[in-house]
Amino acid sequence: MFATLRHRLHESFVRWAVPVRAPEASPIILTQRRVYVLPTLAGLSYGTALIVILLGAMNYNLSLGHALVFLLAGLGVVTILHTFRNMALIAISPGRCEPVFSGGIAQFAVVLENQRADARTSLRVFIGDGDPVEIDIGAQASTIALLPLHAPRRGWMRVPRITIETTWPLGLVRAWSYVVPDLNCLIYPAPAAKAPPLPWSGDTSRGSSRDGRGADDFSGMRDHQPADSPRHVAWKAVARQQDGPLLTKLFSGAAAQQVWLEWNELPESMDTEQRLSILTRWMLDADAAGHAWGLRIPGLRLAPDNGTMQLTTGLRALALYPDGTR
Amino acid sequence: MARANRPVSRRQAWWLLAGALAAFLPLTQQVPLWLALAAGAAFAWRAALTWRQWHLPPKWLLVLLVIAGTVGVFMQYRSIIGRTPGIALLVVFLALKLLELRAARDAIVTALLCYFLVLGQFLFTQTIPTALLSCVTVLITTATMLAASDDRPAPQMQLRRAALMLAQAMPFMLLLFVLFPRVQGPLWGLPQDRYTATSGISETMSPGSIAQLSQSDAIAFRVDFKGKVPPQSQLYWRGPVMPAFDGRTWSIRQTLGAYPDVPYPVSGPAIEYDLTLEPNGKFWLFSLEMPGNLPPDSALTSDYQPISRQIVRNRTRYAQRAFPETNAGINESRAMLRDALALPSGGNPRTRALGAEWRIRHGEDDAAILVTAQDFFNRQLLIYTLNPPLLGPDLIDEFLFDSKRGFCEHFAAAFVYALRAAGVPARVVAGYQGGEVNPVDGYLVVRQYDAHAWTEAWIAGRGWVRIDPTAISAPSRINTNLAAAVPSGEELPFLARTDLTWIRDLRYRLDAVTNGWNQWVLGYNPQKQRDFLAGLGLGEPDWRSMTAALAVLCGVVLLGLTAWTLRNRRRVDPAFAAWRRFTGRLAAHGVVWHSWEGPHAFAERAAAGIPTHASDIREIAAQYARLRYAPLPEDGDLERLRERIAGFRP
Amino acid sequence: MRLPELDAVLADINRIILGKERPIRLALACLLARGHLLIEDLPGVGKTTLAHVLAKVLGLEFQRIQFTSDMLPADILGVSIFDRGSGSFHFHPGPIFTQVVLADEINRATPKAQSALLEAMEERQVTAEGKTRPLPEPFFVIATQNPAHQIGTFPLPESQLDRFLLKIELGYPDPAAERELLAGADRQKMVAELAARVTPQRLVELQQAVREIHASPALIDYVQALAAHTRTAPRWQAGLSPRACLALLAVARAWAMLDGRNHVLPEDVQAVLPGVIAHRLRPVDDVAHSDPEAVAAALIEAVPLP
Repeated sequence: MFATLRHRLHESFVRWAVPVRAPEASPIILTQRRVYVLPTLAGLSYGTALIVILLGAMNYNLSLGHALVFLLAGLGVVTILHTFRNMALIAISPGRCEPVFSGGIAQFAVVLENQRADARTSLRVFIGDGDPVEIDIGAQASTIALLPLHAPRRGWMRVPRITIETTWPLGLVRAWSYVVPDLNCLIYPAPAAKAPPLPWSGDTSRGSSRDGRGADDFSGMRDHQPADSPRHVAWKAVARQQDGPLLTKLFSGAAAQQVWLEWNELPESMDTEQRLSILTRWMLDADAAGHAWGLRIPGLRLAPDNGTMQLTTGLRALALYPDGTR
Repeated sequence: MARANRPVSRRQAWWLLAGALAAFLPLTQQVPLWLALAAGAAFAWRAALTWRQWHLPPKWLLVLLVIAGTVGVFMQYRSIIGRTPGIALLVVFLALKLLELRAARDAIVTALLCYFLVLGQFLFTQTIPTALLSCVTVLITTATMLAASDDRPAPQMQLRRAALMLAQAMPFMLLLFVLFPRVQGPLWGLPQDRYTATSGISETMSPGSIAQLSQSDAIAFRVDFKGKVPPQSQLYWRGPVMPAFDGRTWSIRQTLGAYPDVPYPVSGPAIEYDLTLEPNGKFWLFSLEMPGNLPPDSALTSDYQPISRQIVRNRTRYAQRAFPETNAGINESRAMLRDALALPSGGNPRTRALGAEWRIRHGEDDAAILVTAQDFFNRQLLIYTLNPPLLGPDLIDEFLFDSKRGFCEHFAAAFVYALRAAGVPARVVAGYQGGEVNPVDGYLVVRQYDAHAWTEAWIAGRGWVRIDPTAISAPSRINTNLAAAVPSGEELPFLARTDLTWIRDLRYRLDAVTNGWNQWVLGYNPQKQRDFLAGLGLGEPDWRSMTAALAVLCGVVLLGLTAWTLRNRRRVDPAFAAWRRFTGRLAAHGVVWHSWEGPHAFAERAAAGIPTHASDIREIAAQYARLRYAPLPEDGDLERLRERIAGFRP
Repeated sequence: MRLPELDAVLADINRIILGKERPIRLALACLLARGHLLIEDLPGVGKTTLAHVLAKVLGLEFQRIQFTSDMLPADILGVSIFDRGSGSFHFHPGPIFTQVVLADEINRATPKAQSALLEAMEERQVTAEGKTRPLPEPFFVIATQNPAHQIGTFPLPESQLDRFLLKIELGYPDPAAERELLAGADRQKMVAELAARVTPQRLVELQQAVREIHASPALIDYVQALAAHTRTAPRWQAGLSPRACLALLAVARAWAMLDGRNHVLPEDVQAVLPGVIAHRLRPVDDVAHSDPEAVAAALIEAVPLP
């Protein structure tokens, strides 16, 4: 009951404090107007203790008791300033966010920059109710906070409201602020746990060419093995290299190495997400095996290629289907 | 939040132990021995827990220990309320809290307990050393709170930060101290144990009681004379008057009327002074004979002793006027005179015979008897000493005729006894005589060893006349001080000795500091606050004007600190600052500099936008670029750029 | 402190390759900064001519290596041949032993051959048969690469690309320049008639001088700020490496020298930035190949001058 009331009050406060739903232009500077300060539970006990001490000092006419309580009251005020100062004027800008597969944990990187000549200590940064990441920022330096967030669905995931708070130095007051940086993480579809084997098209699945070795184009050399055909020994190279080892010429069958990952080849009964999931699995498998692969999904055709760039492009296309690649 | 639940780290545990020790050590004298030992054991246990990283003791054991500690305190004091039991309980809680450090939250509780103990210490003593010591405790406790929040910095860094924060808190403390509207305590009834330890003149006087006081150099009161300090021999500080005698002990009258104002007409020149009385746990106020006015909230007993309406629990300062030439009690009541003639039946036959002989010799002439008595004391060659021999039941006789050695109470008792034996009304007056002027601040300091007893005799037409029989035998006691009067070799309080001049100098200084401390820090009560603030020009200060002034001044301090808070100490290159002025001026003409734009690139754009000043713009940009990017810019380049930009009017 | 010989060099090249002042200037800056140049472009836009002309006006030896799929490291570096007469091995230096090397269509060769070239390029020496032979000074490699991902090619991995100081594109000439080209004299003949403007010694001196061009603390702050931005901002896939920062500073120094200045300005850094980051920095949303100029502009506009 109390908890829900507290939660609702908090939510309405947040709506008031962060009126903009849209992400803010970076860098976001935590100006004094957006830093809130309230005492913590410890701060409230501190205040209560001060009142008790004051009453004691008054009752016994203890001048030094008055001095003590006034000093501690001053300390209370000063700690508000220190806590506030620890937060104020931090510049926050979005950092890099590596894409993850759906169901994984996205790591949102937020860059916190301190332009001041002294360090900022014990700041906690967190998303929603997530576990806080504790960071320090050195003098005139910046620190990257990696905020984990469960990624439930493929596509762009925008970072929700981020809370930055600190109770440094005495833990008596808490200063906090909310930011919504323009930070998005690309979530790839989750690769299917079980997927059909790579869809080699019928006309290229001849003999042992599954491993991508063909006979069409010279693709390189490797050390000769007894089983290699004598026709493929690089005699020219042997002649040039004097007593070097025998080398076998390798030929890549361009057609054989190349696999098309087709949306339409998947059974009609599958829904979009299942298809994307299987395509993702295929893509990863093909890439792991070093095959060149192409992709055909409605609205997009990706020419066969291999390498990291091809993989990123393909995964991105699947993640953002049907919106294209932007 | 989650942070408060974090377990206490080893470093934090050490800090908490240090804080607790700093708070507890000054109090070891004030708690019973068993508790001090038990607390020491708990601290050692804590240290072992931290050192060996043992498990914390189980909760039930701690609960048991708390109960045992509380019961122990109750057994000791038969109460758990009040000053000493309260402190003892706090010590119990602190020691056991240390054994229960589970989360950072517990650290805060421990720190707060430490602050409470600092307050507890002030209940016993508020001297300057105590204040300094508690500064150290507060510093360590604050550093402990810092460590509870972030335990990574090294100890000296924590202490430095704590010192910085406390230094910043100082202005608030001073403002609040001066301006926070003070309330005169107590707010509620004080437990009785609050004033047990004060020493001073008591209600009774028996042989040896004043001699015992003379071993104490505690301060009785300080006097700030408005004019010149009167000669030592005039400084009779009147205290309790003791007319009753039971054969051994003189005592005050238990019931007697009191005058709300001075009942006698004063005469002669006045001596004005302010007296700052140390708490004495009695109703007694002291004043120079004879008081011409009464301090607020006080009265004058029928035997002319000023008394306060409340027990003097706090250092009290009051203004007085004394009229030494006043003849008081010319129309004394018969009852009073009868009391001043009463002698116990029997005892001291020789003195009684002596008195009777005087009466016969002089008839009705009391004044002549008085002179004879003084003459007799003079001829007896009595010796003034701190170590008189023990006397038997006829102590007056033994003193006057056999041992002839005594301290002032012997002199006064014998003199009054002799006068009464002769039928002259007389009484013993206890109080202080003399004092010592501190050359540093000019205050006259009266200590317990200045305690004295003298006599008053009533002579018709003259009223009560002061006679100091000690002065007859040992005039140096009155004219100089105790040390001059007692035979050399007798043990005196350290401060009463006069042979070590440098020590005395040092003592004067220390005493002046202590006096300033007492007057301004400890004695800063509602009255003093009003006087001080009125003196500052805050006319007729009441709580409203004080609160307003407090709010304004605290606001000013807060503003200053906030400015420091928000200061972003980022050094801007002076050339860049000049460049920003330049671009600002151009922006007014529609050519806005992008923060990423190089100086020359911008100059070309601006020159195209404002062709009339193209060459100026290009030259300024070139100058700026040279300053920022060229090797070894020449001296004066910056000034030239500034001048150029200052003179640039597009 | 304008250097007339460099102006003359640029003028000569610009006379033959029309409408390409900027890439030409970048190529020369790359050479002066002791780096190597990667040109990614379609065949026939004048890559070979550029390399040839550059070598000619600078008075340098020139060799062209056409990379093919069956090329072996020895084809580039050289081979030892057993001399029956003397009974010992003689090293026959490969085409790399020259001052200006045009490595044409480098992505046609196998990774093995590619890395042989790249290692020699980096170390400025060739180790064969256990013996280390230094390459001539100055030494400048211009490698060309086909932009389209063609089957049977071996695109240079990104780590190898970093060894090129600059990557530029020549692109089609604008119509006016193309018209002039079509109407003008035979380029081959013009190249043949070119005379050297500087000696190799002078060129080495100039390369030394480039290193002494002043980079003020403010400028170094700027380079750092650019790098820091690429390392943290979400729009880049991977940040610039410290080597990339050094490259940026080196080329900016050479660029400043070509401008006749003894110190580097932010404008210099910005001018060479597209070439430096073209093969090093990729935006996250880069699916097709983005225009390096646009990428660089985005980077520049995101980082204020310190």
